[in-house]
Amino acid sequence: MASVEEVKHRHEVRLMKTPGVVGVGIGRKDGKDCIRVYVKDDSPKTLAALPQILEDIDVEIVVSGTFKAL
Amino acid sequence: MTAEDAKLVCECQYLGLEKEGLTAGTNPNVVGVGIGHKTVRGQPTGEMAVKVYVKQKLHPLLVKDGEVIPDEIEGVSTDIEEAGEFSIWRPIPPIYQRKVRPAMGGLSIGHYAITTGTLGCVVRTEGADYILSNNHVLANENRGVEGDPILQPGRFDGGKPEKDVLARLDTYVALDPEGANVVDCAIALPFVAQDVSPDILNVGRLRGSRDAALDEKVQKSGRTTRVTNGTVTDVNATIRVGYATGSYIFQDQIVVRGERGSFSAGGDSGAVIEAYDNSAVGLLFAGSPFFTVANKMTNVEKALDAKVV
Repeated sequence: MASVEEVKHRHEVRLMKTPGVVGVGIGRKDGKDCIRVYVKDDSPKTLAALPQILEDIDVEIVVSGTFKAL
Repeated sequence: MTAEDAKLVCECQYLGLEKEGLTAGTNPNVVGVGIGHKTVRGQPTGEMAVKVYVKQKLHPLLVKDGEVIPDEIEGVSTDIEEAGEFSIWRPIPPIYQRKVRPAMGGLSIGHYAITTGTLGCVVRTEGADYILSNNHVLANENRGVEGDPILQPGRFDGGKPEKDVLARLDTYVALDPEGANVVDCAIALPFVAQDVSPDILNVGRLRGSRDAALDEKVQKSGRTTRVTNGTVTDVNATIRVGYATGSYIFQDQIVVRGERGSFSAGGDSGAVIEAYDNSAVGLLFAGSPFFTVANKMTNVEKALDAKVV
């Protein structure tokens, strides 16, 4: 099975191009590594465009808002 | 006539407030009107009086005609008090935002043309000690040039180029608007080595650097939110970050969520994020309303060929 890093690497360019997505990362959910997708807001259009699983790895969608330099 | 009525007359004649049957006027020396005991030579007399607060108490002969406050108004005694000028209360700013020598991690700092950021820590390269912060704090998002003055405190906190220069911009890692960035960092060389300490305000000294683990607890000391605690919730994030000069993509970042409220806010950029064993794990540079993003300190050290002191 591919590692979570490999899976993230394979999909991140496509995910980052999805409107509303501001980041892609790796986190932990229920004790398992997951791919995290950071989104601007919880607009149904953005959520509908995102997968729930990528190559057997869970995708967690996190509403982060946009990121700005502090 | 009561003191309350006399006060209304004073408010109308000296401060310009409306009162029926009277023409409103202002007296430039009067800053306030109230009701209190009349005091004579510092002793309260027990008599209620209209208090007229003036900027400066002057001999009646020195006051312009028509601006003299009479001894009584509508049968009520007046009591003139020198109050100076009333102003909004400006509390002393916290030490994080003041000038401190030796300067140390956590304090306000910035390139002379930016608002302000945070001094991260001291790093060593080629035998010299430099101060570390972000490119956007010390090098004004690629617009700074070598030798530019770095102020402590930063300009937003009152830092002035003629008296608060701590260091000169030395090296920065350029922000790339097209490719993927890994760090937002820069170093500046203090003019006087003794003006900088390797301490971090209110958290002590760093002990080297390493990568943070997922779910690890961390803390930081920064100019705006001071000492805060949080948890690392992502150790390999790719994030789009908005800057004054445009939007940049960052890879291999760590994401921190604050323990109680926000982990950071504007002005905390440049703060070092450290683990509870005092290892430096990140260089704070960005945030969303819910998260803070930091460069991995190991990547910062590699990019600058420098080590945390």
